[in-house]
Amino acid sequence: MTSTKTPNDTPVATTAGPRSITGWAAQSKGAPLTIWSYDAPALGPDEVDIKVLACGVCHSDIHTIDSGWGEATYPVVVGHEIVGIVAAVGPHVTNVRVGDRVAVGAMCGSCGGCGHCQRGHEPVCAHRVFTYDAKHANGRAAYGGYAEAVRVPCQFTFHVPEALDSAECAPLLCAGATVYAPLKRYMTPGARVGVVGIGGLGHLALQFAKALGAAEVVAVSTSTRKKEDAGKLGASQFVVLDSPAAFKAHEQSLDVIICTACSHEMPWNQYLDLVAPNGTFVVVGIPEQEISVDLKRLVFWQRALAGSIIAGRPDIQEMLEVAAKTGVRPWIERIPMAKCNEAIDRMRRNDVRYRFVLEN
Amino acid sequence: MLAGNNIAGNNIHTVSADARKITGYAALSPGAELVPFTYDAPALGPNDVDIQVTHCGVCHSDLSTLDQGWGPSKFPLIVGHEVVGVVAAVGSNVTHLKVGDRAGIGAQCGSCHSCSSCINGVHQVCNQGVYTYNSPNDHPNGRVAYGGYAEAIRAPAEFAFKIPDGLDSAKAAPLLCAGITVYAPLKRYMTPGARVGVVGIGGLGHLAVQFAKALGASEVVALSTSTRKQKDAAALGATKFVVLDSPAAFQANAESLDVILCTACSHEMPWDAYISLVAPGGKFVVVGIPEDSISINLASLIIRQRALIGSLIGSRGEIMEMLEFASKTGVAPWIEKMPMSEVNTAVARLRKNDVSYRFVLEN
Repeated sequence: MTSTKTPNDTPVATTAGPRSITGWAAQSKGAPLTIWSYDAPALGPDEVDIKVLACGVCHSDIHTIDSGWGEATYPVVVGHEIVGIVAAVGPHVTNVRVGDRVAVGAMCGSCGGCGHCQRGHEPVCAHRVFTYDAKHANGRAAYGGYAEAVRVPCQFTFHVPEALDSAECAPLLCAGATVYAPLKRYMTPGARVGVVGIGGLGHLALQFAKALGAAEVVAVSTSTRKKEDAGKLGASQFVVLDSPAAFKAHEQSLDVIICTACSHEMPWNQYLDLVAPNGTFVVVGIPEQEISVDLKRLVFWQRALAGSIIAGRPDIQEMLEVAAKTGVRPWIERIPMAKCNEAIDRMRRNDVRYRFVLEN
Repeated sequence: MLAGNNIAGNNIHTVSADARKITGYAALSPGAELVPFTYDAPALGPNDVDIQVTHCGVCHSDLSTLDQGWGPSKFPLIVGHEVVGVVAAVGSNVTHLKVGDRAGIGAQCGSCHSCSSCINGVHQVCNQGVYTYNSPNDHPNGRVAYGGYAEAIRAPAEFAFKIPDGLDSAKAAPLLCAGITVYAPLKRYMTPGARVGVVGIGGLGHLAVQFAKALGASEVVALSTSTRKQKDAAALGATKFVVLDSPAAFQANAESLDVILCTACSHEMPWDAYISLVAPGGKFVVVGIPEDSISINLASLIIRQRALIGSLIGSRGEIMEMLEFASKTGVAPWIEKMPMSEVNTAVARLRKNDVSYRFVLEN
């Protein structure tokens, strides 16, 4: 065991061998998180041990604690917006060194060799591994960042640009990635971009749309509550869709819409009508039930209804650089990791503007 | 066929640019049989053409419009938007067509030319677009658009396309709607080596199979609910025929296609199951319009990053390109010709899907 200085000169005990990692786990469906330790095996040749500095609280964390997307494996340690310091590396790791500040997002593994991985589309690799409530190919359980440390393959660590504060970087790893990838993919020069739902994802989508050169950035909401914030986040327009007339007034006005809302009861056809001919309505939030769509809306105006999920590795690294250079920052409320249950309770009540970040 | 008199008894060689009467086969009221009907066609504007119709394909849209399946229709109603004929008169500004040229008109016969869609060459989504029949917008000069089940048609010349020499008129007709409707999205969404699926081997689908192959798809998979058209599909160029008649069949073909072109349009199809056939990052393109809303689970679009995309006929440039492409590659519809006077028989048989694969009415 050797001691290594971190950037702030606090010695970190490092080992590539097996160790115990302590985190905050849900022991059963919907339960409050309690301290729990698990045995992490020795680092594989290309794995790294990261001392967690900060971890964002994502809605996916709550869905998983609640087994909302299928039965989770308990105990589950969630958290996939992770920033920390590399504390140990396996012998084949070349892209990071002990002491580097790195980040980990919602995925921590993929096969690396299929067509999807080769094209930087790791989220659709058939062998993808999510950062928590998942298993690596070798059977090792993946535990998330509500913990003192995480161990992940080095391929899924990202360099944190110097300009980004650790706590501010954290939410970019999932929320930021999830909106950046489709904005980049679907925006064309001069695009008028709409963002439905100004929350954890939406408040970043407004900023990224502006940073990527949207001609108009339109915040779309069902009330005026977040109008002032939207202006500060870079929206050039704020639209309240609280009546059929409001929808009609904005028909065919947006080239790309990023829809972060996900209620199956939303008037989907009317939202589709907001899209200009040849435009794209991107969905990133998964409704709990099927939705009803009138295909005429898609055919007569050649609209696309496209799904998007997190982002591939190249997009994530690029997104961090873009944020660092252009000033895109999540609006965060820092909470000590030990108070994670408070953050979760408030998140359940949507009492956050716009992301909690747990700090060790 | 071109010499002599047409149904109104007019001699085809005496068409001027002046106002004239045009006789066609119209439904005078909802559900009625088509009967001869004569309307007043205004004088040709400087940018218009008058085409003596020799052929007109029978498209499902004709039925949907006659039956008011997409909303109320305006009667008297002359349908038909796969029109081929001989240019009989041209307005003074028309340069790309001259009298005697063979030309065709598809489902659109007007656009505003000034909106961003038109300027970007995507005329088919112009909000002031004029459809060839039953159009929500009439022509700017007030002329009502009547379709090609007639002796003649008058339309803006920019929506009349010269038929390449190598294309037979009867075979060119279905290309003007069915052909372009499948060609445009195939060309737009196919990537090199794409594995293409076609749902529904009918008027549109049988052309989609041919175009996909001619455009270089690495696989052309016919997707059907029975084996009825398996032999035809192979003759049309399909590399594979899949019968989707059970959940197991869908599962066996999951994520196997990069682009699926869906020509079927029943709102009761198992849409989620069809979408599951699309590979990650791939596209499910719909060109058929169900009469009711469909139910889909967005999770399958999100988790596997698929897109559900609508496509509508094609732009002027795409139509011209498609006609040349068909002429060079031999893509051609399988047609059954019928005299225009037997239009009601053709319509009745199409209602029963009793056609392989397109009726073309002949004057």
